[in-house]
Amino acid sequence: MTATESAAVAPPVPGDDREAARARVHRQRRSDLVAAFVAMIVTIVIALAIGFVILLIVGKDAVAAYEWLLTGPFSRTTRIGRVLIDTTTLTILGLSVAIPFRAGLMSLGAEGQLYMGALTAAVVGLAFPLPPGLGILVPALAAMVAGAIVGFVPGWMKAQFGANELVSSLMLNTVLVRIYGYILTEYLTEEGSTSVASAYLPNESLIPTFTQLTGVSFDQANLAVVLVPILAVAVWLILQRTSLGYEVRMTGSNRLFAAYGGISSRRVIILSFIISGAIAGIAGAHLVQGVNGRALLTLSVGTGFTGIMIAILARNNPIVIPFAAFFYSYLKIGGDVMEQELSVGTEIVNVILALIVLLVTSQFVMSLVKRRRLSRLEAKGQP
Amino acid sequence: MIWDALFSTLFLAAVLRVATPLLLAAMGGLISETAGVPNITLEGSMLSGACAGALVGGFTGNPWLGLIAAIVGGAIIGILLGVLHLEFGADPIIVGIGLNLLVAGFTTFIVFSLLGDKSGTSSLGRNLLPTIEPGPLAGIPFLGDVLLGQHILTYVAFLVWAAVALLLARATFGVHLRAIGQNPLAAATAGISVKRLQYAAVIICGSLAGTAGAFLSMGYVSSFIRDMTAGRGFIALAAIFLGGMRPLGVGFAALAFGFFEALSIRLGNLDVPSQLVQTIPYIATLIGLGLFAWRETTRRRRGSGATGQRRRPVTPGADPA
Repeated sequence: MTATESAAVAPPVPGDDREAARARVHRQRRSDLVAAFVAMIVTIVIALAIGFVILLIVGKDAVAAYEWLLTGPFSRTTRIGRVLIDTTTLTILGLSVAIPFRAGLMSLGAEGQLYMGALTAAVVGLAFPLPPGLGILVPALAAMVAGAIVGFVPGWMKAQFGANELVSSLMLNTVLVRIYGYILTEYLTEEGSTSVASAYLPNESLIPTFTQLTGVSFDQANLAVVLVPILAVAVWLILQRTSLGYEVRMTGSNRLFAAYGGISSRRVIILSFIISGAIAGIAGAHLVQGVNGRALLTLSVGTGFTGIMIAILARNNPIVIPFAAFFYSYLKIGGDVMEQELSVGTEIVNVILALIVLLVTSQFVMSLVKRRRLSRLEAKGQP
Repeated sequence: MIWDALFSTLFLAAVLRVATPLLLAAMGGLISETAGVPNITLEGSMLSGACAGALVGGFTGNPWLGLIAAIVGGAIIGILLGVLHLEFGADPIIVGIGLNLLVAGFTTFIVFSLLGDKSGTSSLGRNLLPTIEPGPLAGIPFLGDVLLGQHILTYVAFLVWAAVALLLARATFGVHLRAIGQNPLAAATAGISVKRLQYAAVIICGSLAGTAGAFLSMGYVSSFIRDMTAGRGFIALAAIFLGGMRPLGVGFAALAFGFFEALSIRLGNLDVPSQLVQTIPYIATLIGLGLFAWRETTRRRRGSGATGQRRRPVTPGADPA
């Protein structure tokens, strides 16, 4: 899952001059990219087709359902807004897990980190009245710190004891979500409140929404959208242009080789978990300061796992993650519209997406394409 | 007051009941892990089994057909994992995440499509596999009210525990499973069909997790409820690691989680903040996981190597030595 960058490249034939060899490498890389892109499209089409057949089997109007699924998000501005909200949250979560994934570490702790980030943003935003600007920044930074701290725990357990990070991060999720619920119910919910939720944050701590800015209702979509490209590029820079990123990628592609090359996997594990936690914390801040304006008991069920799906779909490529997140959010809102209009369960969207993930990880389409290309080469008489 | 509650026969009976699905799923997962296939689809297999069991049992009115459907429903997930991992070489963990999401979405979708109710299959009425009546033995303390009168699958779970322990220790099949888990190449050289055994392992694993699901929807409660596994598959997974991948240890780890879960239910009734009490099993797992890994690391550092090769070795260099 980590070997995205270096596709198989034919060794230069002796006697060839360097320029030609380089050109061939580039050509090969370009055609690999095209093949990957085509494979992705074919994969999506296959998954959508399977979903279509499932709808037919259970006796639903599949054509009408797909019409709403694919056009629904654009039917109202509020729906466009909800696509933007989910794209933001899921991009942040996908980017957060991409770093440990690149290092070959299965961190499933984004959910807990998101809740802790949300809690911290709410507490800091409510406790310290701050001037505009700082009012947005300080709670968000605090959320990052909180996410980093809880992200550190499974990383440290892995580095120190070799504890399986998948299980420990999962267990920690449940613990943190319950602690969040406890603190919210006991300390942040005001007397006489009808629902379990904190008070609204002061205006200085809220991220301006597009509805306020444009006068058109975009639900709660807000300026945090700008974080999508910024964070994507930042994570790309960390992975591709820093020595830590180099160590992360080396550890992910060959742990033993990295260790013999003098890379401290202890440092890689702990740092990648900390950075991952910090990024997931921002997602919590986005939900509190941007979307809900306060801390709610249920932030969004299973977003952590959805973020993981996004990262897998994008093959841990930080530049692709925003597109995968948009794709998911678009289908999800489309699914909600479909359910409202036709009472076809929106969960079919999750089925379709899970199918895409399974097809992508098994390289189902890619292996077919490769096989065809090989047989064509053989037909031409080339090796 | 708490101590009275803890040693009441009601509480001990509850421990056995709560531990049943954990024990079944953990034994399934143990077989898969032993054979070298990391399996996080326990959650999905369990949910699939719970849904298939409740639907088939509910529509036919026969809980035994429901049980068969549950086993098949769980096994299908195992087969899917096997095909994608063994034939297509996909990462088993990522396939597991995908399958879990697939099942979570598909069960809710299918229940909603068939019954028009998203929350579960309660509209099909109560549908339960039988409990064993204690009969004339009911009056005997402990035996009568803790061990007897349990759900039939609770006894199955303990039988499975014993069977898996025997299988892995004595049977050729079990020894071969261990061999391919430790060194698939060497096992293949010795003439063991690695792929076929790994298929067998994931199918057995799925079936047992499906049985655990049948217990949830046709024993623990009387219908399928959306996302009713609620992380039990992952607790079972933790039990496998905590129990050191040995049947005896894994079984006791599952019982321990059952104890903590029953405790949290019990304490929740006693005006202790329920959210904090609910964290007990998970914190126990975290601590146990850390302790277990720490013990393994120190043992390996001493160079005894007594535990043998683990399937997923600790990161080289993670070792501070």
